[in-house]
Amino acid sequence: MRLDVDWTRCDGHGLCALLLSENIVEDVDGYPILIGSDVAPQTLRHARRAVATCPALALRLEGDASARS
Amino acid sequence: MTVVDVQTTRLLAGGIQGDHVALAPHRAIHGDLRPMTQAALAAAAANVHLLGRGGAAFPVATKLAAVEAGPRVEVVVNGSESEPASRKDRTLMTLVPHLVVDGALLVARALRTSRVTIAVHDRAAYASLAVALDERRRAEPHRESVDVRLQPGRFVGGEVRAVLNGLDGRAPVPPGRRTLPTIRGLHGSPTFASNVETFAQLALLGSLGPQAFASVGDPLERGTTLLTLVGAVPAPGVVEVPTGVSIDALLGPGDGPVLIGGYHGRWVSDAHGLRVTRPLLRDARVPLNAGVIARLPTSGCALAEVSAVTTWLAGQSAGQCGPCLFGTNAVARDVAELLAGRTAPQVKARLEGLIRRGACAHPDGTAAFVASALASMSEEIAAHGNGRGCGRPYLGVLPLGGAR
Repeated sequence: MRLDVDWTRCDGHGLCALLLSENIVEDVDGYPILIGSDVAPQTLRHARRAVATCPALALRLEGDASARS
Repeated sequence: MTVVDVQTTRLLAGGIQGDHVALAPHRAIHGDLRPMTQAALAAAAANVHLLGRGGAAFPVATKLAAVEAGPRVEVVVNGSESEPASRKDRTLMTLVPHLVVDGALLVARALRTSRVTIAVHDRAAYASLAVALDERRRAEPHRESVDVRLQPGRFVGGEVRAVLNGLDGRAPVPPGRRTLPTIRGLHGSPTFASNVETFAQLALLGSLGPQAFASVGDPLERGTTLLTLVGAVPAPGVVEVPTGVSIDALLGPGDGPVLIGGYHGRWVSDAHGLRVTRPLLRDARVPLNAGVIARLPTSGCALAEVSAVTTWLAGQSAGQCGPCLFGTNAVARDVAELLAGRTAPQVKARLEGLIRRGACAHPDGTAAFVASALASMSEEIAAHGNGRGCGRPYLGVLPLGGAR
């Protein structure tokens, strides 16, 4: 499954970088940098939590029926 | 060989004297508009490898075939031409408005709809289209509704999905989620949207047929293309040339830095061997985009030109995507630092931070413009390193929009 950021929604809250450090780091302005958008199976739980926690509803996990998209 | 020798006037036939081609001379040049089916029009477009002329160079046949034909379909002619250096679309709409309208009606009939919208930012283009449609109401009425809409605009407002948002009464900015206009476009209906020149080329294709259309141009992309030539070139302004001409022939002799593809394009230190064929230029990593080719005169300061355009580009960010808003402004400040003879240690990281981190191509295009300038102008940058500048003045060769 692939992570996708809706850049028009993202406000750089930074929660995703805390909850999904396997795939996301922050840039100097606090916006996420995706380190590879493919999510490994063992990381999926963290990815779903990051998606569900994003206050701006900007992070999505494409092709994930069990999470908000 | 110079640009004057390579010009081939097909789209702009009859309009070279600077006067709008009225309906009767338009018909004398191009004949009557003959309807084509969706399949026939798509096949003809595929036959000549017609690519969209707005910048993305998407195959027109593929886009035509992707629309499910019917009365709900919207046809949108994007005449917003928001890049200040580009004049080709307003030249078409101003000089040969009937060719643009023919192209729009040809597509509408092929897609079995009567809903056509032409979005423009330029008042002269708007006036010319209005006169042309008025002429048709009297001399050659058509059943389709053709709505010409004057839209306010900034650079990203010319992106096709931003144009659709604007026509729908929303803010004219690109949407955050990727949607295909052919599936869900204007008013949520399937939409065939393309650049003004694409429609004019389709009208020409319908009138000439694929064989005559392909009598000039490169096998990879037949026919002619419009370009806007800027700066130290033998014939500045809009030219129509067969695809495949060498960029050397367009530029003539000279030494200044060359920009291919306009303000989302790339600076090249050597244009030798490059030809104006979209697939070849894309493979050479210098996409033609909307067809702006510029050469700076050696009498002016190239870095000042780059800095002025970069600052302008930063101001054109719609401000809805953080990496673009902050990143383009940071890059503009970095280029200004280099111009002032200081260093910009973060500029590489800042440029990388613009790649694929926005809702539209603006951050990526800005990064390409600046990164290629820095790569090809190392001597220029070194000449500013003493803080006293290169000694050449800023000439303002690259236009920056403003009121029009």
